[in-house]
Amino acid sequence: MGAKSISAVRSSGRRGAISVQLLVLMVPVFFGLMGFAIDLGRLYAARAELKAASEAMALAAASVLIGTDASTGNAAETALRLIETDTGFGNKYDFGALNVGEANGSLNSEVVEPTFYDNVAAATGEGESTTGTSGEVSGSVARHVRVELVGETPLTMWRFLALGQEGKVAIRVRSVAGVSAPVCTACGIEPIAIAPVDAGDTTNFGFVVNTRYTLGYICTGAPVPQPLPNSTGGRVPYVILNRLNEEAEVFPDDLQQIFRNGAQGMVPSTNDAIACMRIAAEESIWATASQLACNVNRVQPSITAFLCGMAARMDNSLVQGCDTIPEVETLNSLYQPDTDLTDLDDYAGYTGNGRRVLTIPIVETLNPTGTMVVLGFRQFLLEPLQDNSGIAPNDPNGRIQVLYLGVVMPLKQGRFEASCTATGGPGKVVLHQ
Amino acid sequence: MSGMRRKGQRGNSLLEAALYLPVLFMLLFGMIELAKVAYTYYALQKVLYTVGRYVGTQRGINFCDDVDGVIDLAKQYAISGTPDGTEPFIRNLQADQIDVRIERFDSTEIGECECSATGCDTTAGGRGPDYVVVSIPDGYPLQLAIPQVPLDPILLRPRIRLPFQGM
Repeated sequence: MGAKSISAVRSSGRRGAISVQLLVLMVPVFFGLMGFAIDLGRLYAARAELKAASEAMALAAASVLIGTDASTGNAAETALRLIETDTGFGNKYDFGALNVGEANGSLNSEVVEPTFYDNVAAATGEGESTTGTSGEVSGSVARHVRVELVGETPLTMWRFLALGQEGKVAIRVRSVAGVSAPVCTACGIEPIAIAPVDAGDTTNFGFVVNTRYTLGYICTGAPVPQPLPNSTGGRVPYVILNRLNEEAEVFPDDLQQIFRNGAQGMVPSTNDAIACMRIAAEESIWATASQLACNVNRVQPSITAFLCGMAARMDNSLVQGCDTIPEVETLNSLYQPDTDLTDLDDYAGYTGNGRRVLTIPIVETLNPTGTMVVLGFRQFLLEPLQDNSGIAPNDPNGRIQVLYLGVVMPLKQGRFEASCTATGGPGKVVLHQ
Repeated sequence: MSGMRRKGQRGNSLLEAALYLPVLFMLLFGMIELAKVAYTYYALQKVLYTVGRYVGTQRGINFCDDVDGVIDLAKQYAISGTPDGTEPFIRNLQADQIDVRIERFDSTEIGECECSATGCDTTAGGRGPDYVVVSIPDGYPLQLAIPQVPLDPILLRPRIRLPFQGM
């Protein structure tokens, strides 16, 4: 009897204990488990969105790092355009509900001021910059950018647990983008060729940075045309390389095609032979741009048309000497002039959008009647005749004045090849991290 | 007496189970389905990113009239990893649900780039766009399956804006 009553008491007491245990143990466990499904899923989705946004921002910022003092400021501005939401299409996070870089009620999102580096190791935080201890560098040497975003994401289930009492969690993402190793195949560059001043110099081919040169069209015999005034580097002869597209459907005329090549570089095409140039490839002259004798003091109409295109980089109104090109006014209207037309002695002070920067293939020797082997690509700044004026396409010797820059601006498109021996030269924008 | 009590206890726990099991199952299914929402959204986001990077790094791409099918190919690859879009990673996701919008920054604001020679029609001589926005304008319908609870499909609308780095 005694034993029975004890057992009865114990059993009824045990039942109560199980209910309390259920309450005390199971509820937090359930909230925890539901948090794994709901909150963790949401956090991962939000992190993916933030990461995508930061990658887009880093890529956009890196593409405007063109080696000028103003470039880092431009890059920071450009990055923010990927998350602008005025037009309703910017990148957002948390299922596309929260703006990046703004306060969203109690949830904050922040764009950490982008930082700029001159080498990949410093940008990814794996090494130190070559110029400073912090690793960050200023505009003219910046080649890589690090973008960091912080976005707070709400917690639904875990806010009831001790670890998530704030009801939100901050997600931090980081992306690093910058210029790649030198490309072997460069696309969209300017199809003119010059020979090295000094073939032994593999870095600058004998050109001196921030020195003016006159590019003059190649001609035979004497007298060799004079360089333009102020060209302390002298006259460098050039040829226009053949990028004629026999199958072109828009602007098929030879002069129109050569104008477009002058105005925007090689015309976009899925065909490498039209849009790109490869190191070690053999190139030949544009058929209608053959050389004349120096003493006749004129150039082929093709060369004038090419320079008319060059002129459109600075002034897209009709320039004297260009009216023989079919539909030239339509062509001109396609191009935006550069935003900085000043005559510069130092490229670091350039504030334009890169329209004036030319990427020119350097060939072993100029050969207007045969083939030329491409050694590499280097960049030049097209200089106006005077401040804020364009160039003169009707120059009797096809001359333009350029400032040698070395390698400053990433290319729009390019490719690497295992067999390529490019040790210097422009790269393209890639994501490092 | 003791046998009766034991019997009653069993009935009690059965009753308890009958009360809390549906709640438990609802919670369980709800958890699974909500996790599926997050997972599907994540996967859609990755698909759109793939489309955006593919079309954003092309040379000679024509956004205005996709005659050579590069944009379609980008979508097919992104949704299935194959050029014809069979067996998509995400159930019933079709290439034509995905929209690629081209944008240009005109020194003050970003707007849609029109298909003209002075806009982004590259075949007419125009420049390429500055940005591409890849989205699912009508939303991807995700049907949640919770037993005994009729639910409308949830429309997922991920979107991504990427810089155009092609030419």
